[in-house]
Amino acid sequence: MKYAVQKIVSFVMTLCLVSFLVFAAFAVIPGDPALSKLGTDATPSQLAALREEMGLNRPLLVRFADWAVSFVQGDMGTSYSYDRPVSGMILDKLPITLTLAVMAFLLTIMIAVPLGIYAARHEGGKVDYLIYCINQVTMAVPPFFLGILMTFFFGLVLKWFTPGGYVSYQTDVPGFVRYLFFPALAIALPKAAMALKLLRSSVIHETRQDYARTAYSRGNNTNQVLYRHILKNALIPVVTFLGMALADMIAGSIIIEQVFSIPGLGRILMTSISGRDYPVVQAIIVWIAVLVLVVNLIVDLVYRIIDPRIRME
Amino acid sequence: MKRKTIKKLLLVLVLTTLTIALSACSGDKEGENSDSSSITIGIPQDVEDSLDPHKAVAAGTEEVFFNIYEGLVKPDSDGNLVPAVASDYAISEDGMTYTFTLRDGIKFHDGNLVTVDDIKYSLDRCADTSNGDPLVSAFSNIDSVNVIDEKTVEVVLKEADTEFLFYLTNAIIPASNEDPAKNAIGTGPYRFVSHAPQESFVMKKFDGYWGTPAHIDNVTLKVCANVDSIAMDLNGGAIDMFARVPTEQAAQLSDNFEVQEGTMNLVQALYLNNSVEPFTDPKVRQALCYALDKQNIMDIVADGKGTPVGSSMFPAFGKYYMEELNDVYTTDYEKAKELLTEAGYPDGFSFTMTVPSNYTQHVNTAQVLVEQFKNIGVDAQINLVEWDAWLSDVYTDRNYEATVVGVDASSMTGRAMLERFTSTAPNNFVNYSNPTYDETFAKAIAATDDAEKTKYYKECERILAEDAANVYIQDLSCLVAVNKKYAGYEFYPLYVQDFSKLYLVEEKQ
Amino acid sequence: MKKKKNWNLIIGSLMTGCMILFMLLGLFYTPYDPEAMDASSKLAGISSAHLMGCDNFGRDILSRVLKGSGTTLFVAAGTVAIGTLVGIFIGALTGYYGGILDEVLMRIIDALFAFPSILLALVFISLIGPGKYNVIVALGIAFIPSFSRIVRSQFLYQKNMDYVSSAKLQGASAFRIMFVHILPNTLPVLSSSIMIGFNNAVLAEAGMSYLGIGVQPPDASLGRMLSEAQSYLVTAPGFALFPGLIIILMVLGFSLLAEGISHAGD
Repeated sequence: MKYAVQKIVSFVMTLCLVSFLVFAAFAVIPGDPALSKLGTDATPSQLAALREEMGLNRPLLVRFADWAVSFVQGDMGTSYSYDRPVSGMILDKLPITLTLAVMAFLLTIMIAVPLGIYAARHEGGKVDYLIYCINQVTMAVPPFFLGILMTFFFGLVLKWFTPGGYVSYQTDVPGFVRYLFFPALAIALPKAAMALKLLRSSVIHETRQDYARTAYSRGNNTNQVLYRHILKNALIPVVTFLGMALADMIAGSIIIEQVFSIPGLGRILMTSISGRDYPVVQAIIVWIAVLVLVVNLIVDLVYRIIDPRIRME
Repeated sequence: MKRKTIKKLLLVLVLTTLTIALSACSGDKEGENSDSSSITIGIPQDVEDSLDPHKAVAAGTEEVFFNIYEGLVKPDSDGNLVPAVASDYAISEDGMTYTFTLRDGIKFHDGNLVTVDDIKYSLDRCADTSNGDPLVSAFSNIDSVNVIDEKTVEVVLKEADTEFLFYLTNAIIPASNEDPAKNAIGTGPYRFVSHAPQESFVMKKFDGYWGTPAHIDNVTLKVCANVDSIAMDLNGGAIDMFARVPTEQAAQLSDNFEVQEGTMNLVQALYLNNSVEPFTDPKVRQALCYALDKQNIMDIVADGKGTPVGSSMFPAFGKYYMEELNDVYTTDYEKAKELLTEAGYPDGFSFTMTVPSNYTQHVNTAQVLVEQFKNIGVDAQINLVEWDAWLSDVYTDRNYEATVVGVDASSMTGRAMLERFTSTAPNNFVNYSNPTYDETFAKAIAATDDAEKTKYYKECERILAEDAANVYIQDLSCLVAVNKKYAGYEFYPLYVQDFSKLYLVEEKQ
Repeated sequence: MKKKKNWNLIIGSLMTGCMILFMLLGLFYTPYDPEAMDASSKLAGISSAHLMGCDNFGRDILSRVLKGSGTTLFVAAGTVAIGTLVGIFIGALTGYYGGILDEVLMRIIDALFAFPSILLALVFISLIGPGKYNVIVALGIAFIPSFSRIVRSQFLYQKNMDYVSSAKLQGASAFRIMFVHILPNTLPVLSSSIMIGFNNAVLAEAGMSYLGIGVQPPDASLGRMLSEAQSYLVTAPGFALFPGLIIILMVLGFSLLAEGISHAGD
């Protein structure tokens, strides 16, 4: 219980810290949201009126406190450039980025876990070696470049999907998931390579532990030992890694969304940063922070379930 | 028990992978809806701002609104004004009174008839000064808008202006619309359907349109933020058309596309802050002009496409454009160095070009300029900034040394291009100040005779060229890629996209 | 488990060595001026005059790759330097002293660490603007949390070792204990995270240049070249191929080297 309270307190503190940093950062950089809204033909008095209307003339802390209170109440302000509630805009886009990250996450597990176990069980074999080589190269390719190559190869040469032909989840869910497959794969591959490597070395490490040797010497067959004992322990470092990887995937989708023309949170974030659309930027960053922190919390909990040593503490 | 759980989990995971992979491969195209025709057009930036036509200022928004809203008059593809909401108009000889006749039976998108009160409401709304400046600054010249009878409206000016008609392309909207920012109601050939930020903007053909109806029923504008991969979007079939395709992307298009070449209708130049050393000295500015090789820029940046310009006027203006000003300076490094020496910079100098990063063609041009200026010992640096930072630092605060951008015209008047260089103009972002120029421009504005007006405008252009107010480069070429299923794209001399002229090729045959 | 040749170390050092030689060569010699443009050789293919062809400005790709790998290594080195130096400082203080300082600093570090580094760098870049040096600062700051955590855990572990107690008995100052006694003992762990940090920096630079907020033209960096080449993937694949290949070799070399070092330490 104490543990949970402690977690929640640090969760809230982290959120406040991050949101204030973002808030302050965007208040001091050059670029005037009122001007960018009005464009080149704005007159000084139009500008002054709009600045007043947008509340840009009040002190920073007042603006932050105001914003934080209404954020908690679900009101994230109104977008400067779209004149519509930020919460609605984010709720529209959140499913896109979230689906992308979750698909990438699933793909990572689906690639890393079977291959990692296989490679560990056939340590030193040809397939292990091949997997190792492919792995090293995959980790060395910039993800956006991987995305571009995939667009070119699967999109233009093999025509397995329409580059730029994003389908909205509101009209066609299967089509939406289908379009997100390759972007998710582009995000997943480098992460899968890392997870695979980690799992392989972790399984090998556990295999050499005393308990595993004892289990073997008792005459248990390889599979039994592997699934009953080894995997359970070997997965612990992988879970930690995957937790961090999921956070990275949410952020990594910013770049991949750009490559595959997906109008998700990343796209809105990039245009809002350049458009100085503060309410949107702040809300998105805070949302991503919430997601990341929730993931961390889940990792902590899963950790406690799979690792008895922590539970005993 | 545990073992089974883990095994099951693995099985589920593997099966899910297969399912997703298989479904991803079977991505067959959906059959096209034969009942109604539609087209998907890519746009490089979202239609921002509200739907209120009087408050929209972004060029990218205005070119879309052209299809939804109309003014009393509207430009045709030659840049001439033709009657729209008004069926006829008359200008008094002294250029003080403009009289308009309302078109019979013209309807708004909500089905209501347009009335003279709507016209008065729209014009008054834009001329209103209760919030400071009027929404349309030229409307400060309006003395009054008078409803004469239910068919006639009269606009009386404070000062004579024979070019005032060009500002009356401003949208007419219904007085009954309480929230124009949310409800787009106009009289154009298309009506607004929906807008998903950073995703799409959907329009439908307006069946009650007064003029030649649009051919295509549904127009979807799709935001394609990454212009560097536009060829993939086009080839892959995600979009059917894209205006302003970069040359290198156009080269990668398949045979399914027809690429039409026009001009962007702007003056691309190295705009110099005339109040910053050393650009205060005309000799320095002229030296940069002599170091310039326009053909080389066009060769490198756009495979030789583009039209060189020598002053602040582009060819689409016709009668005002002076081709001969291109030859005021020819590439001559010796001459340039001589001028620099005379100005007191025998070893050259260094300066920074602040360039908006979202315009690839300007960024590329700036890179070529850096190389060209090296020839005369001038060291130029590039500082890429976001468009918004450019607007505030360069355009508004004028806190910069030089910039590469394109300046376009909001209307087909000489004034739209030339007024900004008068010393007191609020949008004179280059801080150009020349009493002779101011005088000549004032004469052009005062002139009511067209030939006389043209003469003075041309004189203004010559001063800008010879005094080297800026280093003029070119009017960029504009490539429009259209899927061969469609035809009818028309270039306008203004920043306008007319979707109503597009049609399906099969439909016509 | 007996003496096996440490192939990772051998191949890794060879590749890294080659890349560093390549970069050093680029500092002193390029076949052409990497910025000289030539309209007639725009997007020219591979020839004896241009071993890697030319880019969209007719600039020699080999010359630009030579120069660009220097920039990329410079950015990566700068990033890692900021990350490690500040990381060592924070990690050493918090790990060695603990207490309220540790509590406060680590809370902040944890908060930042929870944040994906690319997002953090993005916020910093929009704060200070793009450009070579700004990328170094932004990425460097984004890298501080992870280095701090690594150093801190090492210091926590090392500070209870006998050699630290004996140094304390001899009256060594805290500063001396931290940076002369403990720090060298953290090197085996630190050096492989530096290598990995290097790789992350190279990849992050590429990603940021792709988003248009990294190294700015006309500066050449591998990431910048790769993103410029994206427009020409169909017409001039070589343009993307060579910078891409060099990045892959560079990152591959470093990761093999990192692995080799950690194996050698076992």
